[in-house]
Amino acid sequence: MAFYEQHIHEAPKTFLKKYIFSFDHKVIGKQFLWYGIFFLGVGGIMALMIRWALAFPGVAFPLFGQFLFPETGGVIPPDTYSMLFTLHGTIMIFYAITPILIGCFGNFCIPLMIGARDMAFPSANMLSFWVAVASGVVLLASLFTPLGGAAGGWTSYPTLSTLIGSPGVGQTLWTLAIFILGVSSTMGAINYITTVITLRAPGMGYFDMPLTVWGLWLTAILNAIFLPVLGAGCLLLIFDRVFGTHFFLAGAAATSGNGDPILFQHVFWIFGHPEVYILILPAWGIVSDLLSFFSRKPAFGAKATALSMTSITILSTLVYGHHMFTTSMSPLLTQSFMTLTMTISIPSTVFFFNWLGTIWRGSIRFDSPMLFSLGVLFVFGLGGLTGLYLGTVTTDIYLHDTYFVVGHFHYTMAASVLLGGFAGIYFWMPKMFGVMMNECLAKIHFWITMLGLNGVFMGMLLVGYGGMHRRLYNPFWYEFLQKLIPINTFITWSAILMGFAQFFFLYNFIHALIKGKKAEDNPWNVGTLEWTIPSPAPHYNFKEIPVVKCGPHELGNPLLSEGKDFQYQTEELVKA
Amino acid sequence: MLFFDTAKAATTDLNPVQQMSLWDRIQPPVDISANGHKIMDLFNYTTFMVIFFFILVCIGLFGFAYFYSHKRNKKPYYTYGNKKSHKNVGLAFGMAVFILIDCAITIQSNNDLVNTFFKFPKGDDVVRVEIMAQQWLWKFRYPGADNVFNTDDDIVTINDLRLPIDKKVVVQMTAKDVIHSFYLPNVRQKRDAMPGRLSRMWFELKKTGEFDIACAEMCGTHHYIMKGKLTVYSQEDYNSWIEQANKVVKSENDTEDPDLYWGWKWQE
Repeated sequence: MAFYEQHIHEAPKTFLKKYIFSFDHKVIGKQFLWYGIFFLGVGGIMALMIRWALAFPGVAFPLFGQFLFPETGGVIPPDTYSMLFTLHGTIMIFYAITPILIGCFGNFCIPLMIGARDMAFPSANMLSFWVAVASGVVLLASLFTPLGGAAGGWTSYPTLSTLIGSPGVGQTLWTLAIFILGVSSTMGAINYITTVITLRAPGMGYFDMPLTVWGLWLTAILNAIFLPVLGAGCLLLIFDRVFGTHFFLAGAAATSGNGDPILFQHVFWIFGHPEVYILILPAWGIVSDLLSFFSRKPAFGAKATALSMTSITILSTLVYGHHMFTTSMSPLLTQSFMTLTMTISIPSTVFFFNWLGTIWRGSIRFDSPMLFSLGVLFVFGLGGLTGLYLGTVTTDIYLHDTYFVVGHFHYTMAASVLLGGFAGIYFWMPKMFGVMMNECLAKIHFWITMLGLNGVFMGMLLVGYGGMHRRLYNPFWYEFLQKLIPINTFITWSAILMGFAQFFFLYNFIHALIKGKKAEDNPWNVGTLEWTIPSPAPHYNFKEIPVVKCGPHELGNPLLSEGKDFQYQTEELVKA
Repeated sequence: MLFFDTAKAATTDLNPVQQMSLWDRIQPPVDISANGHKIMDLFNYTTFMVIFFFILVCIGLFGFAYFYSHKRNKKPYYTYGNKKSHKNVGLAFGMAVFILIDCAITIQSNNDLVNTFFKFPKGDDVVRVEIMAQQWLWKFRYPGADNVFNTDDDIVTINDLRLPIDKKVVVQMTAKDVIHSFYLPNVRQKRDAMPGRLSRMWFELKKTGEFDIACAEMCGTHHYIMKGKLTVYSQEDYNSWIEQANKVVKSENDTEDPDLYWGWKWQE
């Protein structure tokens, strides 16, 4: 099915060409992985600082608080607190999840899983990574400006994010960084879309693609359509800040003409709601595949799963208004957005049912990738169901901007995506680096993470129900929130536990890289195309472009000869 | 170890409400409004449904993981999940979620909106207040003796909203600098106050006492101290307060102060 001939290029010789400015999608994927893990660490430490301030207001941050905030004796000051939650959100969404799930897995998996030698546009691919690096540098630089980094929340609503609310140059740099990252992700997205359309191996129809590729492809489509919208919003904001325009200024603040701060909210959420699906779709795809691989049976209703993911992709573009129920939109719009939002639960039920159907009557191997995938089922179930409260207008009027929202979107976006990402790393580690990770450590990592994570996000749902609103430096300023202090303390200890668990991962990961057990070509016994080649994958991927003859989930076929329970996609399907 | 000592000290020092069960702790603040129970009833219905379906998911997840582990079930069932029975069960689940949750809560919520929350009361009996939010305080404006806003005899208070019990209250709000959100936890409602726009909300109070007003939208460094006080008076107490205020307002309002004239003509 490939549209054009793909040649084998000579392997690059110099260090610079091989590891730094590489055209190889596998190397770029790994670069995105380092980039994402670095920012995941930064964002994670920020999260712990936020949690510390909420549970122990007025107490010095341990370990390095004295060093960061000498003027307050180590206590996190309120303006820094605002920067922390702003950058925690920004970094986790744009600089950690996006690079790992989309940058790393997208780059690494798409060509290997569809039987291509590289991406359709290798140099755009390389450019995409280096533009992302530039964006990261601009973002980090914003922290060292005189008035500090951006402090208007990751949504950066004007007029707080215009000169009225944040006069510092940090906010300008933040906006610029997001714009640059948008350029990077758009390049990546166009690359992925083109690759999937043009470079599928001969014989591979769309429904013969693994669901991982489906998830990444749909993500890329959403990215390509909606990141430019965010880019436009960011540019207008930069115009307001730097060139004195009035797109988002209104009321007393607008000296000439009249803009509208709500315009930005519309622009932002037209992008922002698809964005949450941009983040979760790759994880859904990975989980749908892994559940089938480790249950040793075909994915239940794979076509329905792919189609329901597609319909969610389409619906996600129509429901953004539910982020704005409290802005007094017209009642008709409010009601329409509520109804549209509710329809998302139908395709969600379909693929949830399919996930459970996949493990039903399987022969489940509890290897670490499978544990993490089952974990995604658990946390995404909770996250998805708590979304119902926020889709209905009346309950949302109470819960909007409380910790209930925070708990909900962390369950869906943070917990599910994190667990899905870990599942992917444990699963593709052999193919990426040619080594296996330690199973025992991986399982410890899973259980402690699961425990900490549910403590944190369940606790957030509870305090949100208790009425605690978001982004408060010291919530106990309010009398009705005093009784929630112990729960907040509990959340913080859970967060510390969850942070602690990541050391098991880091140790395991680094240990595996240095002297891990050498991986076999196909350690998990699955039949998708990336497992037909040696581990780690050679730079040209496939010596001969494979010809696909069956689907990606051919496991547990009773007609297979003794001692074998799966088929490669390159083999003719065994039929009675 | 310093790390644990400080943590311990903090929890004991800053914990004024000891001896409370978890259930009591997570209860939302007391509901003082006539219609807040509608929101809570819908919340409770959704919770029952969510718990029901989550238990189903857990039965599937943990049950299948137990019974169909490699140890207990060597031979997986080879199926694509495209049999008629599979599709029917899937369809049944989809319809159950759609009817029991989606339709039920959407219709209920829509009815509440149309019949209550979007149905703004009108007439002379309604208490009207204008609100100006700014970094980081709330300004409230009562129309005063002439019942017209933005005149010399308006009563203007800061962070201090006093309202009568059993009367319908309509508030209109805007913001001076950045977006704020007028949040009454005890009424279960909030509404954004935005520069350049008027937004409005109505409620009816059913309990006297003092309650918190909070800002729910991030509005800058001191967002967390943007707290106001809501005092709910009985009808007599309210009347005597407003009479007293009307008496002194002429002498206390500085008519030269431009900050006094931030009000607007009431929008019906």
